[in-house]
Amino acid sequence: MLEIKDLKVSVEGKQILKGLTLTVNKGEVHAIMGPNGAGKSTLASVIAGREDYEVESGSITFNGKDMLALSPDERAKEGMFLAFQYPIEIPGVTTINFLKTAVNEIRAYKGQEPMEAKEFLTRLKEKQKLVQIETNLTGRALNEGFSGGEKKRNEIFQMAMLDPQLAVLDETDSGLDIDALRIVAQGVNSLRSKKNAFLVITHYQRLLEYIVPDFVHVLYDGRIVKSGKKELALELESKGYDWIKKEFSEIPA
Amino acid sequence: MSVATGKKEVATKWLEEFELTTANRLGASNGAVKTKQEKAIKDFAEIGVPNKKLEDFKYTNVSLYLNDAYTTKAAATRLKSSDVRHLFIGGHVSIVMINGRFVKELSNLKNLPKEVTVKNLFTVLKESKEMEAMHFNGQLENKDNPLVMLNTALAYDGIYISIPAGFECKGPLHIVNISAGNSKSLYNPRNVIKVGEGASFTLIESYQSVELTEKVFTNSVTEITVEKDATMNDYILQDEDAMAYQNNVHQVTVGTAGKFNSVTVSLNGGMVRNDLNVAINGENCEIHMHGLFMAKDGQHIDNHTLVEHNVPNCYSNESYKGIISDGGTGVFNGKIFVNQDAQKTNAYQSNKNILLGDKATINTKPQLEIYADDVKCSHGTTTGMLDKDALFYLQTRGLNETLAKKILLGAFTQEISDNIIDDAFRKYIEGKIQSHIA
Repeated sequence: MLEIKDLKVSVEGKQILKGLTLTVNKGEVHAIMGPNGAGKSTLASVIAGREDYEVESGSITFNGKDMLALSPDERAKEGMFLAFQYPIEIPGVTTINFLKTAVNEIRAYKGQEPMEAKEFLTRLKEKQKLVQIETNLTGRALNEGFSGGEKKRNEIFQMAMLDPQLAVLDETDSGLDIDALRIVAQGVNSLRSKKNAFLVITHYQRLLEYIVPDFVHVLYDGRIVKSGKKELALELESKGYDWIKKEFSEIPA
Repeated sequence: MSVATGKKEVATKWLEEFELTTANRLGASNGAVKTKQEKAIKDFAEIGVPNKKLEDFKYTNVSLYLNDAYTTKAAATRLKSSDVRHLFIGGHVSIVMINGRFVKELSNLKNLPKEVTVKNLFTVLKESKEMEAMHFNGQLENKDNPLVMLNTALAYDGIYISIPAGFECKGPLHIVNISAGNSKSLYNPRNVIKVGEGASFTLIESYQSVELTEKVFTNSVTEITVEKDATMNDYILQDEDAMAYQNNVHQVTVGTAGKFNSVTVSLNGGMVRNDLNVAINGENCEIHMHGLFMAKDGQHIDNHTLVEHNVPNCYSNESYKGIISDGGTGVFNGKIFVNQDAQKTNAYQSNKNILLGDKATINTKPQLEIYADDVKCSHGTTTGMLDKDALFYLQTRGLNETLAKKILLGAFTQEISDNIIDDAFRKYIEGKIQSHIA
């Protein structure tokens, strides 16, 4: 579904991703772990199409289509979703109105009619329950004055509403207490299916106790230096990232 | 001809005009007014048409706009009812003013409450002699604004609205100001509005152009008195053609426990300069002033505001927002003045601007002058491009860049338009704003 090949990306002249290769198939959950500064958030942003990043070489394809040629909204319409590490506050735009627009923009792209109001509301209620988000929250301006936990739950709620094929979760666990973490993870787990896939980016193993990945990759210095099954996450947790740093810091750029 | 003395030469023309129009000016109605007009033209001659050397006009050089062959003769217009009706909103009482003159035949006064007086100012001054003349120019004489002086001197007529004490005027009254005609003209309309003790009143002022084929400069002054315990809402829409220039002064005086709420939305016009002056003269007043200005290519929109806290225990809150596109210029100058006696004043001011291109210009200047020691006052101003992070966030949800921008600007403007309580006018204005953003 998602194929990233030898991706090299720089920001303001500094190379961050130095030849990253990754394949994600339908029905799979991949975790990307790594120390601070390894390029985790850059990867998430580049997949979503943020313009501050310069792709020097390599490719990102999604269902065979070249994503690098598409704008962020077109990527979303193709079925990609990014849950932000720091969701943005948008004053004056209610979550519910915004989602109605988003859902219908995506439907229009696929040549579908706008969703009936009744169907939209049914779906809204159903997905609200999933992440235990109160109705008054969706009636408020998007993320404005939300607590950290509410913002993260709102990301998963939006994901549930938009029903993407591939969701990239960028440090969704950061700043969450254990209860909020559990709610977010339950939300994600209930959305897992044979048709979709998840790319979970995280610094800590904690989230992976709740969202159990099929594959774990270690990102270090702009490359994936180690891949394995979920046990790799536990190994990282017990040993820390220092052994990775020692082992791979000698690699020439 | 030397350029440096241009303003005085421009002024000379209006001194001549003053002599020629004696029989047609407001002074012909009332001896006290005649005296005030004679004083005003002398004061004006001292200063002349403002140019950028005058601090209050530093960013709006009016002499550039008032240097053409204007006359004060009313242009002949043959507007019919069908030409103006599309400007009426929500079935409200509509007072049509063409080039600053009340045109009763084209107005819709069917639902005007019998308690409310709507008349030509000329007639009112003629009928009531000294009493009304006392109010005429009372609060403005010390403002040293040459354009107010010019208006006072040359004013010929305008509208007079009076809401009697204790009367709650349910529906708004809409003054439909229209610029029309085919001759270069300077108009000096003068309006007087009184909201009596304990009364409440909502005024809508729209400024639009119909079949305008030559430049006009409308130099309008409106004097508003909100008496003790009275409430007034004043909603203003400026949406004129590029050939229409406008200097619009509102002088508002608020008495004890009075409330005044204004929303000023400036969307189009060759040049717009607004002065909104609010003098708080009684305790426990509450003042809200909101503004939105959107200047596009070649447009210049200037909002000057002044809140004078003259007495203790009053609250004022001001929020103006600007959206400036390439080639447009915006000016905001907001002054809060707190008199030595005005203890326990709460005064807040904010000005936020979005620049949509690198050829957009904004000049913003908040001013606080505080002479009392026990007050809460704050001001803040921000200017920037549209938030890139917010744009990206919306795009990742499937909204294209154009739509995402429209939504963000819509939310930015809505914080102002939300303050318009009249549903019909709010929807009308939101529609105008939306099409302006698109």
